[in-house]
Amino acid sequence: MTLSSLTKPWAATSYGFLDASAKRELRRKMLKAIAVPGCQMPYASREVPMARGWGTGGLQVTLTLVNPTSTVKVIDQGADDGVNAASIRRFISRVSGASETWDTLAASIVQSRHRVPEEVMREDQILVLQVPNPEPLRGVEPNISIARQMHADADYGKLWLTLYEQIVRKGRIMQGAAYPSMVNGRHVMTPSPIPRWDVPKLNMAKHLTFLSAGREKRLFAVPPFTRVEPLVFSDRPYRVEDHADLTCRRSGVSGYFMNELPIDGGGSAFEVSDSNLGIKAIQQSEGAAIEVGKTWYRNGEFSA
Amino acid sequence: MLTVAPPDALELRSNATFEALMWALSRPGDSREMPESGLAAIAETLVDLECTVFADDPALRSEIAATGALVAEDISQVDHVFLSSLEGTEVQLATLRCGSALYPDDGATLVANVRHGVGHRVRLSGPGVDGTLELTLGISPGFWAMRAMLCAYPEGFDMLLVDGRSVIGIPRSTLVEVL
Repeated sequence: MTLSSLTKPWAATSYGFLDASAKRELRRKMLKAIAVPGCQMPYASREVPMARGWGTGGLQVTLTLVNPTSTVKVIDQGADDGVNAASIRRFISRVSGASETWDTLAASIVQSRHRVPEEVMREDQILVLQVPNPEPLRGVEPNISIARQMHADADYGKLWLTLYEQIVRKGRIMQGAAYPSMVNGRHVMTPSPIPRWDVPKLNMAKHLTFLSAGREKRLFAVPPFTRVEPLVFSDRPYRVEDHADLTCRRSGVSGYFMNELPIDGGGSAFEVSDSNLGIKAIQQSEGAAIEVGKTWYRNGEFSA
Repeated sequence: MLTVAPPDALELRSNATFEALMWALSRPGDSREMPESGLAAIAETLVDLECTVFADDPALRSEIAATGALVAEDISQVDHVFLSSLEGTEVQLATLRCGSALYPDDGATLVANVRHGVGHRVRLSGPGVDGTLELTLGISPGFWAMRAMLCAYPEGFDMLLVDGRSVIGIPRSTLVEVL
């Protein structure tokens, strides 16, 4: 072996921004993440032209998966037109030649910050969630070495205790986002800060989910048909947000997760959080031939 | 204006091979098509100078060595194992690295040529399988017994079974019953 035999011909840029060795490392870790669902796998987390904490983890996974035939949707809190989402989507398509879309049904890869789309994802789709804090135990154990040991021992007693304390103090579980969930009956993961509304969508889903934290350099996965069970006490059932009866003031859809907007003189108005679902509903009501896919929630009830 | 560098042949091949491997492990028992047949394409997709590899085929071994990976003779030291056949390898593979509960990602990846659709019938269940799935694989019951001994979840090794261009994945999370 010589140095020249290890060297590739010169190129101005690597396809998909990441170099080949970065992609191989990610690919190895992504396979291990699938093999042990919910278990956090360390990875190198290369530099990308974006500050850590703005979706670099999800971006690296997407850049590894993407090819010129991919169609990419990027959402930020449900919206396709947020600055962060639009910038990431444009960057991915510029460095890979992949098509861009806002439509969940048309996407092959959905990269998301803090929401799972309302339309049911198919078995050929991949959901990439950006994760700020991948460690569900951080709140109860700041030392990551001890937290790793606790994962190894499946020692989640302290997590149960925080949930119990919330019930004792407030009468209900106050954890709003990033609800700790048991994956495949073994590893507790944080499903990234998606609302409680979205956690059931990951349970026994048809699609493949990657969760990647670029700043914390860890990724984990939820393969299709994998149990994802929110930690709950048997006498206190898991409750999602009370959004079933709210109606979007712009599109008129109801029974989906809503953004609450304060209005003058007090009170709130609501807009559907999955903005493209609202757009589709408006276009449909105007007579356009738009297909709205089957949704996870129907009439405000989860029914997968 | 930034123009997109089109993917070169290696990147296209690696991307498509990885996609096949990813879906194969995500849906254990489902057969996926790789762009090229054989183990070399998988080695090219996954292995580089960060890896330690065992390969029983001399030609593949030299190809792997050319990537800068360390080629080892001792299976207990390696993170990727490439075997041209699984027959009679139970004793040798009993020392395969399975990681630890602390670091499950240290478990090895076993890539082997295995005939699909002939041999012994097995039933798969676990993550990625909707209920149960039955299929026939050219793997002896003795091998599955050895695997069951080694794979104490989350410890274990992950298998990619190659037959020509088809690949079937059996991750450590899958429960395999010999029928």
